[in-house]
Amino acid sequence: MKRQLLFLWQILFLALLLIPPLTKGQSTIGRGKISGDFSFSGMYYLPDSLINATEAEEKVRANTYLNLLYTNANFSVGARYEFYLFPLIDFEQIGYKGQGITYFFADYKNDFLQVTAGSFYEQFGNGFTLRAYEDRALGIDNSLYGARVKVTPYSGINIKAIWGIQRKNFDFNFMERKDFVRGGDMEVVFDEIFPKMSERGFSTSVGGSFVSKYENPKDVTLKLPANVGVWSLRFLFRYKGFRLESEYANKINDPNLGNGFIYKNGEALFITTLYSQKGLGVSLSFIRTDNMDFRSQRNTPNTTPLLQINNMPSINHQYTYALLGNYSFVSQPNGEIGLQLQANYNIPKKTKIGGKYGTDLTIHYSRLHDIDKQFVAASDSLGSLKGTDGYTSHFFKFGKNLLYQDIGFEMSRRLNSHWKLGLEYNFLTYNLHLLQGEADTNLFKGHHAGVEVQYKINSRHALRLDAQHLYSKQDMGSWLHLLIEYSISPHWFFSVADAWNYGNSQKEKKIHYFNVAATYIIKTTRISLQYGKTREGILCSGGVCRTVPASYGVGLSVITSF
Amino acid sequence: MKKIFFFILFCYFVNPIFSQEESQTAKFSTLPSVDIKTLDGKNFNTKDIDNEGKPIIISLWATWCRPCIEELTAIAELYEDWVEETGVKLYAISVDDSKTASRVVPFVNGRAWEYEVLQDVNSDFKRAMNVVDIPYLCVLNEKREIVWQHTSYAPGNENEIYEVVKKISNK
Repeated sequence: MKRQLLFLWQILFLALLLIPPLTKGQSTIGRGKISGDFSFSGMYYLPDSLINATEAEEKVRANTYLNLLYTNANFSVGARYEFYLFPLIDFEQIGYKGQGITYFFADYKNDFLQVTAGSFYEQFGNGFTLRAYEDRALGIDNSLYGARVKVTPYSGINIKAIWGIQRKNFDFNFMERKDFVRGGDMEVVFDEIFPKMSERGFSTSVGGSFVSKYENPKDVTLKLPANVGVWSLRFLFRYKGFRLESEYANKINDPNLGNGFIYKNGEALFITTLYSQKGLGVSLSFIRTDNMDFRSQRNTPNTTPLLQINNMPSINHQYTYALLGNYSFVSQPNGEIGLQLQANYNIPKKTKIGGKYGTDLTIHYSRLHDIDKQFVAASDSLGSLKGTDGYTSHFFKFGKNLLYQDIGFEMSRRLNSHWKLGLEYNFLTYNLHLLQGEADTNLFKGHHAGVEVQYKINSRHALRLDAQHLYSKQDMGSWLHLLIEYSISPHWFFSVADAWNYGNSQKEKKIHYFNVAATYIIKTTRISLQYGKTREGILCSGGVCRTVPASYGVGLSVITSF
Repeated sequence: MKKIFFFILFCYFVNPIFSQEESQTAKFSTLPSVDIKTLDGKNFNTKDIDNEGKPIIISLWATWCRPCIEELTAIAELYEDWVEETGVKLYAISVDDSKTASRVVPFVNGRAWEYEVLQDVNSDFKRAMNVVDIPYLCVLNEKREIVWQHTSYAPGNENEIYEVVKKISNK
């Protein structure tokens, strides 16, 4: 009964919240302005034993949140209310369940100073020391609750200082928490101080940061550090089309669950160099991380994005193809070494090869290994490294295990005013054993090819066909994916899609995952209705991979901003 | 503390809905003041987005967002004519985070886009604009007020965008 009431309340909540955007749009008070956004994404789950769709006790589930922001000249206040009491199944599985005001702040900002009290998101440099961020679609919210000051004493010099307690899903007992984070960052942009540099095509900036975490060091067996610090230095240099960027970070002893409670220092190095001119861009990146997982609480398992203070960027190619979702690589903060190469080229329009409209080409390659490790003597007879320095490692030596490799090619070209064509081919190698904990130690190898054709019927109506094929002998085998989308600009989208796992080695698992969807968009409001099956998969993003259960049902989502 | 805070916010929110005072209210909203970066790594405040009284288009995009790229490519094919006829300027603000931020420069140059490109690496501007999903695109008038906005891209949207831009420029 109580649950039904809560669900009714949820519907009421939705209805109430839609009143202001539908009646007024921008509301204002005095010279101030109120804006916000609202998102509801709900699903009615149907049982399906064949795809192992979880038979949920609660069949109707939804993720709902509302952001409100009031801005008046230099002053702003904002808050977010989240209602995730019966969240979508994959959110429930990661513990993102609850309700309440999860984010609220007051902020003052002028050209010299910015002061924030309450919740905030912040990033220092590339995020090696600090990255408090959100990715609502994945249930990641690492915001800090505390205070932040940013000062710009002179144009080109920026100083930031932060203090805060990190958000832990719906745990609001901030007063009882024994852990907090504090830190500072300074950046000097020389070409802002000396504008003559820019005129000659030079840009240079340097920066450095230090972040420290305090946590109650209670432990019966180990002498744990109460404070763990991470520092980093970075620079950027540009001369005309050439650019070189780098950041190095070092973490001082941080025994935690993820590294097996070893005392070794952590390290990370990231270098990117690139050259570009109109029509051409080439970039080469290198990354090495070692024991850099850094959390507000040392007992947090590193299989969740929870309480992550920093964030290591993954340098591989970011695929958005449905069939490659299971094999997307995420950065391994505790040990990876690798490089990435990418080139973008535009064959100019009105040339023989480029055609009337020009042609876009992309090629990319990346390869990542684990790091070299020479283990020290174990601390006990069971071979545990707990309490030791763990291992030593040659800095530039690649470990013997390949984690991931991609090599790919993409092309897109408009043929005439009606037709547009896109082609791609990718070859992927993915270590299921080390990245997803699968027992099978064989590397996954997959060939992925896709064709995308767009036919513009007239100035408003268009048809898009997306066909993909993944060929593989490992894991779930080969797949075929077809999507047809009909759009009527600017309001309507209709799509039908089918993913067919025809190459699965088990006969009963050669399943069609069929989906239909309709979406209506008006200004900044999007309403979409979807019906179909979603396969069980691994969603990798934000530094971790998580299992998304197979599901079957009807989904409704309403997203609006006002 | 939190309850009081939310109550105050609630009052702010409810008040203008029921009050009849509309005299001093502006019809359109303007851009928030958020520090983001230029492609050279310089600081850039979003309130400095300007086009000397001519129309402005702002697009929030990312290198991994297929419809965003489709939209910006469709506009790129027409952009020369648009600039010639209306003087419009397009600011393409990338929300690529540190995973892909370093690929924005080669991507933009590799596509030969003529846009003003800026980087919002921790989504601060996106949040201040209350944007949930990208692609998001808005058009600003001569007073730099947001007069038109839209999320998602369907082929043909560029025609509507240009109608809005033309209307502003003909004023």
